[in-house]
Amino acid sequence: MLQIRMLTALLLVAPAVMAQDDLSKMFGKDSVSKGPVIATFKSTRIINGQSNETLKKGELDFRVAHRFGDLGGDAGGSKTFFGIDNSTDIRIAFEYGITDRLMVGLSRAKGSGNFSQLYEGLAKFKILQQTLDNRIPLGITVFGNAVVTSMKSSTVESDAAYFDNFSSRMSYTGQVILSRKFGNILSLAVLPTYIHRNRVVHMDVNDMFAVGVGGRLRFSKRMALVVDYFLPFREQASKDYFEGRGVKFYNPLGVGLEIETGGHVFSVNFTNSTAILENQFIPETTSTWLEGQFRWGFNISRRFSLGGK
Amino acid sequence: MKQLLFLSTFLLSCLAGIGQEVYSCKAPKLSFFSSAPLENISASSERGVSAINIKTKAIYFKVPMNTFQFKKALMQEHFNENYVESEKYPFAEYKGKFAEDVDFSKNGTYPVTVEGVLSLHGVEKSYKGKGTITVRDGKFNVNSKFNVTVADHKIKIPSLVVKNIAEVVEVTVNADYQPVTK
Repeated sequence: MLQIRMLTALLLVAPAVMAQDDLSKMFGKDSVSKGPVIATFKSTRIINGQSNETLKKGELDFRVAHRFGDLGGDAGGSKTFFGIDNSTDIRIAFEYGITDRLMVGLSRAKGSGNFSQLYEGLAKFKILQQTLDNRIPLGITVFGNAVVTSMKSSTVESDAAYFDNFSSRMSYTGQVILSRKFGNILSLAVLPTYIHRNRVVHMDVNDMFAVGVGGRLRFSKRMALVVDYFLPFREQASKDYFEGRGVKFYNPLGVGLEIETGGHVFSVNFTNSTAILENQFIPETTSTWLEGQFRWGFNISRRFSLGGK
Repeated sequence: MKQLLFLSTFLLSCLAGIGQEVYSCKAPKLSFFSSAPLENISASSERGVSAINIKTKAIYFKVPMNTFQFKKALMQEHFNENYVESEKYPFAEYKGKFAEDVDFSKNGTYPVTVEGVLSLHGVEKSYKGKGTITVRDGKFNVNSKFNVTVADHKIKIPSLVVKNIAEVVEVTVNADYQPVTK
């Protein structure tokens, strides 16, 4: 009789359990969230360096980057309103997402350093995307650009800006961006970089390797601290030669605040590099934070959706 | 002993019978729409799952939030990153029941009232809504529309974009069910 009672109880309980639990347990396998990690960085640039992000298909990004003059030091202070009266570089760019992983862009930069009046063509491609289930723990993105200067050739053959043919106006960047988002707050990137400049002055280097590191620390839904730093590997003989002539190279460091407002991303930043394009700020940064030779600048990105899905 | 045997048989047949009582849908069409002064927002996903037990009238839905496709890529990013926080709360889940008796052996359209709990953005809230079940040749379709007030699920809209995003979104559910074969 006890058995019957137990069975009856079980019989009554069974359908109820099935009804509530079984339905949700039918799909137990789907309990881990899949898909790519989004918004590792908010923008396609960290500050000076590239981020792993590309534009989505059909998106047009209009970007303006501006770097003012030295805040302090000989060229700064109140006489230039802390550098705001001057600008060391300005870049205006149109960038476009051909697919969700491939973007291309054209830009014009004023340029700083040896060459100015620069035109840049760029492409960036996401090879691997970090996934939420950690099946792919790392994002791998590649970036490349070609830059040409349209400035008038110097007549002095030893000048950097002496161009005896068109190819001496060209320089190139190749870069791999390794990125990872840790939780919802911290994103890091490592950027092994190769720069080739066809035309350089005596004792300067045509080919240069550099490693960049960058990070984004999100402290509210719309604001984040962004940092990037590049370590260029210049030959000692070249360093010594330039130092003997009063030119010292420094590693570019940028620190900024990134504010997102919907379609816009503003980054207000401070950096010791005077130039904006990789081809210049990595090999040619000769100003230092320690002597007040840093500047404030901003990157503004406005994204437009053309077409859509 | 006879009773015991009878009960055991009944219990076994009952368990076996559950297969026929449960119907599932592997690609329910879930979408939402909101109209705000500056722009309309709509998104849809067919990557959720659903099941219905026609005996107990239980309804179940589950959808990964990051599978909702928007017209604009930026909207999709903002939706996942800032609003529903899909990395923290990856799924929306609905557990409910319909009240009316539906003759699943007879073709026809039956209006039903559904009551249940929606878990979204880590907040559970009960909803009562109307829908229809359309039976056709042993299969059926469920169609329903209901409104979700985003504030109820602790989804905050910053004042800066309040003109772009509506406070209430209309959720549409459309799913075709087939018997679960085991």
